[in-house]
Amino acid sequence: MSILVIGLSHHSAPVTVRERFAFAEARIPATLQLLRDSGLASEGVILSTCNRVELYAVTSLPAKEAFPALKQFLVNCHDYRDPLTDELYLLVEPQSVEHLFKVACGLDSMVLGETEILGQLKQAYDLALQHRHSGARLNKAFQKAFNVAKHIRTETNIQRGSVSVGSVAVELAEKIFTTLNDRQVMVIGAGDTSEKTARALLSRGAHSIIVSNRSHDRAVELAAALGGRAVHFEDWAREFSKIDIVISSTSAPHYILDRVKLGPLMKLRRNRPLLLIDIAVPRDIDPEVNFLENVYLYNIDDLQAIADDYLKQRQEEISRCEQIIREKTRALLSPGPASFHSNRPAFGHE
Amino acid sequence: MIYSVFLWRKGFRQDNRVNYFLLLLACAFHTTAMIKRGFSLQRCPVNNLYEATLFIAWTIVAAYLLIGAWARLRFLGAFASPVLFVMGVFALMPALDPPHGTRPEFVNGWASLHASLILLSFGAFGLGSVAALMYLSQEHDLKFHKLRAILSRLPPIQRLEKVTSGLVTAGLVLLTAGLSVYPLLPRPKNPPHAGGDPIIIWSCFVWLVYLLLLIMRWRGQGGRRFAWGTLGSFTFILLTFWGIFLLSPSHNS
Repeated sequence: MSILVIGLSHHSAPVTVRERFAFAEARIPATLQLLRDSGLASEGVILSTCNRVELYAVTSLPAKEAFPALKQFLVNCHDYRDPLTDELYLLVEPQSVEHLFKVACGLDSMVLGETEILGQLKQAYDLALQHRHSGARLNKAFQKAFNVAKHIRTETNIQRGSVSVGSVAVELAEKIFTTLNDRQVMVIGAGDTSEKTARALLSRGAHSIIVSNRSHDRAVELAAALGGRAVHFEDWAREFSKIDIVISSTSAPHYILDRVKLGPLMKLRRNRPLLLIDIAVPRDIDPEVNFLENVYLYNIDDLQAIADDYLKQRQEEISRCEQIIREKTRALLSPGPASFHSNRPAFGHE
Repeated sequence: MIYSVFLWRKGFRQDNRVNYFLLLLACAFHTTAMIKRGFSLQRCPVNNLYEATLFIAWTIVAAYLLIGAWARLRFLGAFASPVLFVMGVFALMPALDPPHGTRPEFVNGWASLHASLILLSFGAFGLGSVAALMYLSQEHDLKFHKLRAILSRLPPIQRLEKVTSGLVTAGLVLLTAGLSVYPLLPRPKNPPHAGGDPIIIWSCFVWLVYLLLLIMRWRGQGGRRFAWGTLGSFTFILLTFWGIFLLSPSHNS
């Protein structure tokens, strides 16, 4: 008895194929029941997300017999009549277990190291568990996968950092302010990126948003969407004494905030830290203000550079993660019960 | 100390378990040495400047080991190690540990209280300077857009500033209490004029410097200047206390 994986993902199949193989959650228990009734597998878990559809199965059949049968099972489930070439991948132990661990850690995800997949994997496993379609082997493998994901998250930098401008801005704010809960945010210029950044700050608990825009109607509209209030563009400086974070993205051809203007405003604020996020091109805020004490200015290039560094760092961590995963897979398969031991070769891509 | 240098270069990303256990081991040796010395003297081993310095170091490392039990704060060891190392070197300066006579140098309860409060205040100032060092490191990285500002495990700079301020306040309160006990201490046979004792002038100066630092902070001049002030003040204490103590007739009679 060994664990096999058959499936397709964003690496192997376009969305036009993936959507045809996707399972609605309500349909999964019945499909797993059908699989077990057919005698192809004694245990099964189906993971179906927008980027992958995978069937984890425990079978006593030799791999060469199991794979064509499992493939046919999937094709029949979805009534898929078109020819398949390299879309489906087939893995046996230990590669199947390694693959499960990689998926749990986000190593196989479109956004490297993302954590959403772990929640989806847990959901898929819980569904199988609730309907008693998973047994001793899959239980152990999935529980281990969750442990490995936790281990990788704490021991490596694969999941650290954000790869979007808005999230980087939030992380910066969290490194400056003790908490975001009572922070006031001002959005100057109601652009798309500034809205996304403001939403990211709100989602982390920012207290309130003040929106100022040349078109006051647009400011009112955005303020309503963000649950904040709008102020006239000429009046934004008057609100400055309460503000902790400024997101600026106007289309002004010149600086709207410079050192001469900000110096007195900082005194009004009793020199509390101020995070300025300038995502406008041309820039809204004079870079000289960064020389003022307690002022932290980041423009769009600075934020993008941090996001790129994060991505690069995540890529550098891949080999370290793979090494950990190999060790954990070996530990799971080698000393355990005979049922986990398998010398069968990997089939790789079909 | 050497291991801490590596941690600084790495950017405090890990829990620094190795550093924690090195400091734990060092603390175990330190505690054993203090206990043995205490038994040999038949009293608390805080009788001269050497022992006092080591007692402050022991207080700092014990506080760190307690705080460091929480994995997220274990990186603090990277900041504590250099401070402890410098204090250890300071304690080994000549003439700080004269051979004990038949009686300890702190002969009554008031003297012990005076010494303990002053030493605890220096411990608080020391920890405050560690927090200030963290603030300056993190603030520099944030100002210059370094990725490690986000990656490091250092707390937000606003919290570091608050911690520094709290420790300096605690230190100042302890120093004030310690200095208040001074008039109750037994006088030497030929007491110098209070204005002529360098350690009294020095203590008043240190007290005033920390008071001004706190006033500056309360008036909204916190941030980098406050952190540099805290760090500079403690460095001043470390560099001058030894000499001033030896020059003081009331503390060397």
